[in-house]
Amino acid sequence: MTGRHPPASPEPGRGDPHVFLSLRQITKRFGHVTALDHISLDIAEGEFLCFLGPSGCGKTTLLRVIAGLETPDEGEIRLQEGRLDAVPARQRNFGVVFQSYSLFPNMTVARNVAYGLECRGWRGTRKDERVRAMLELVHLADQSDKLPHQLSGGQQQRVALARALAPEPKVLLLDEPLSALDAKVREELRGEIRDLQRALRITTVMVTHDQDEAMELADRIVLMNQGVIEQIGRAEELYEQPANRFVAEFIGRMNVLSGFGSAGEAGLIGVRPEHLELIDGAAAGADAIVGRIEKSVFLGSVTRLTLRAGDQRLVVELRGKPANAVPGATLAVRIPPQSVHRIRGAPP
Amino acid sequence: MITPSAGASASAWRLDSDRLVTFALAAAVAVPLFLFVLVPLADILMLSFATPDGFGLGNYVRYFQTPKFSRVIANSLVVSACATVITVVLAYGFAYAMHRTAMRWKTVFGLIALLPLFAPSLVQALGILFLLGRNGLINRAFDLGIDVYGFWGIVIADVLYSFPHAYLILSAALAVADARIYESAQMLGAGPLRVFRTVTLPATKYGLMSACFVVFTIVITDFGNPMVIGADYNVLATEIYNQVSGQANFEMGAVIGVVLLIPAALAVVVEKLVSRRSFAVIGDRSQPLTVRPHRVADRVAFAYSLVVCGAILSIIGIVFLASFVTLWPYNLHLSLRHYRFEVQNGIEPLWTSIHVSLMAAGIGMAVTVAAACVLRRLGPWAAQALYFLSILPAAVPGMVLGLGYILAFNDPAHPLHFLYGTLLILAICNVYHYHAQGFLVATTSVNQISRVFDEASAVLGGGLLRTLARVTLPIIWPTVASVVVFFFVRSMVTLSAVIFLITPETQLAAVSVLLLDDSGNQNQAAAFSVCIMAVVGAALLAFHFALRWLVGRDVALVR
Ligand SMILES: Nc1ncnc2c1ncn2[C@@H]1O[C@H](COP(=O)(O)OP(=O)(O)O)[C@@H](O)[C@H]1O
Ligand SMILES: [Mg+2]
Repeated sequence: MTGRHPPASPEPGRGDPHVFLSLRQITKRFGHVTALDHISLDIAEGEFLCFLGPSGCGKTTLLRVIAGLETPDEGEIRLQEGRLDAVPARQRNFGVVFQSYSLFPNMTVARNVAYGLECRGWRGTRKDERVRAMLELVHLADQSDKLPHQLSGGQQQRVALARALAPEPKVLLLDEPLSALDAKVREELRGEIRDLQRALRITTVMVTHDQDEAMELADRIVLMNQGVIEQIGRAEELYEQPANRFVAEFIGRMNVLSGFGSAGEAGLIGVRPEHLELIDGAAAGADAIVGRIEKSVFLGSVTRLTLRAGDQRLVVELRGKPANAVPGATLAVRIPPQSVHRIRGAPP
Repeated sequence: MITPSAGASASAWRLDSDRLVTFALAAAVAVPLFLFVLVPLADILMLSFATPDGFGLGNYVRYFQTPKFSRVIANSLVVSACATVITVVLAYGFAYAMHRTAMRWKTVFGLIALLPLFAPSLVQALGILFLLGRNGLINRAFDLGIDVYGFWGIVIADVLYSFPHAYLILSAALAVADARIYESAQMLGAGPLRVFRTVTLPATKYGLMSACFVVFTIVITDFGNPMVIGADYNVLATEIYNQVSGQANFEMGAVIGVVLLIPAALAVVVEKLVSRRSFAVIGDRSQPLTVRPHRVADRVAFAYSLVVCGAILSIIGIVFLASFVTLWPYNLHLSLRHYRFEVQNGIEPLWTSIHVSLMAAGIGMAVTVAAACVLRRLGPWAAQALYFLSILPAAVPGMVLGLGYILAFNDPAHPLHFLYGTLLILAICNVYHYHAQGFLVATTSVNQISRVFDEASAVLGGGLLRTLARVTLPIIWPTVASVVVFFFVRSMVTLSAVIFLITPETQLAAVSVLLLDDSGNQNQAAAFSVCIMAVVGAALLAFHFALRWLVGRDVALVR
């Protein structure tokens, strides 16, 4: 909770026995757009990694480079010390699930799942049993003779998952597999993906722009912005020790303030809305911030206030529904010293 | 007291007048369709079923039992099936190269592939004879004794002739695809062949079926090529001509006509089913497939396309060449003597053809656009009926329509008998021969107008005239223009329907080519073909540049 130390992301070096998949200096350009800018990353065996970031930051491109569907302009990829760069996508044995519409429309559910097995020469009862087992794993054993268009969106993504997992892939790659589904199904499937991954211990990389999804599923989150990695770490690390202003503002909410004594080298400090403490206006000390409430939103367990103090704006989250938290009222808050984040590398 | 009731009756009157206009327009569209499509068809059906002891299958039984007739049917089926398989396979490969590889010269190849659309059907046969015939270049130069007359001649000529039709259909099928499905297959470990077999082929299944039916129909109803190169290999289309023109055996002509209706009607039905089925495949969230350069595949595709386009170009090219030499292939000195057209009616038929084509273009544009407009104002039942009538001609081969016209209009009792033997009936015959295709293009254009109109008038309110000039006209012109071009080009090159309707005074250019070839003047036939292609080419270029100048962008004239 100190935020004074540099973020301690476990970054195993080359030759580390835990490193399963390793990317070095991966660069990919599309014309004038640099989608990936010298990305380096190590993934441990059995790990669940999430690529998180705003739309267009290069998540999908990075996933596709790992899959072999894009050829990087620079850099190298290794899988357990073997170079992967020259291995075509179809020989990597990585499973992929796309956002939607990736099932073969002319094949039944069972034939979809069997497809990868057939490509690898599985035959007869061995194949059928594997298909059956995979469909049971995703609770669709009774749908095996249906065609994709007869299934709901959630069921289609389950089939896609079963199809990707059937040939026992070394890595599972998921590109926003839940974003086309409605909220309830998404929640449900999110849980299933996590359980499956834990049960199979399969190394998994998932792309998402949904922070909650990443925080719930990932062992480590790779937070990306404009083709570079801003920070890698567990959800708590990103939340509690954001490496810079981008991370601080992307993960949860963060008030970024200037002109405080304990400011970092950029002259900025950050504080989470829920860490601000309400104090008695009359007893306000030197560290108090007094402002006028501009907006008050009641969210159930908390009330979110927008506070205007001088030329700065502050978001404050208070438990419950404080009586005087109405627009126009004056409020005093304090920043507890242990909650101050020093903000580095303010983006332009 | 007076005002409200007067207002009510005025609006009621306006409503009635609206309905009256709609009704009048619908009648103006439907009556000619009835007269020039349904009645001739009915006449053929009646005649084919008419026997001395009332209606029955007597004629069919009789003809099917004669060995000659069953051989002609078998010939037709075999030659059509063979040409269909070859054409569809070749066109699939070509369309695949065009849409799924990053080969060079795509624009040029795409244009060359469409060239056969702009030449009379017998030009392919003529070209093949110049190359491979008894007195062709190859046999003269190498004395190989190749005999191309008959089965293989028809097959090769009709493959070249029907190639662009198959290519256009398969092109549409291969142009769209969802990248994620292909990438999924790849990630699951499928090699190129398996991807093709399990993903590409099933996705283009309906396009393939449609192409097969369309090509089969084109070949089995083609008349020009078998006439020129078929020798004693008789097929239905030449037989119907011999029976009717040679022996005035209208009964047998009618029976053959009904037999020829079957594949054509099937083709239309399949086409309809296919266009209904293929809509669901691509969703709005799908990722379009982008082709990536692939050294080997691109080179193979390029070489293949070069061969295909080379074949198309060389056949048309050799016709050009033969028309400009003294006596192909004996005396290859350049000469313009074949362009003097000293036999028959000289160059006159070309002018007649242009005249008829201009009339057909005008009438065709008017009736198809009117049909498309009125269709939107009719109730569902009437609209269905009019739609059916409008696309029915697609199921009627030219030979059959032409025969129907003789049966209908050569009858002095027919109220329109005066049309018989005029240029107008040739133009009308062409209009209704190609009514379905012209109508479909016009429908697209009219649907565009209405959408733009509605949006614009809703947004701009008063400025309707301005909208009309600035927005609507530029949008409908190009499509209407392409209807005009379509009817003009088809009328210039068609042979099958009008062959029954010409008189010595109303002879058409494409017919001249046939007659010149028949009388042994192959070089003059070539020269005449070149004239036809030159007129068509000039018309296309003129339209292209006129439209570009008027509309300010390039417009697809062929679709
Ligand atoms: N095939 C492509 N061609 C051109 N530009 C591309 C292509 N794919 C991605 N890009 C560009 O690369 C950048 C990163 O894209 P992407 O990886 O899809 O982002 P994300 O998945 O994070 O939303 C974007 O600017 C995008 O426009
Ligand atoms: Mg993406």
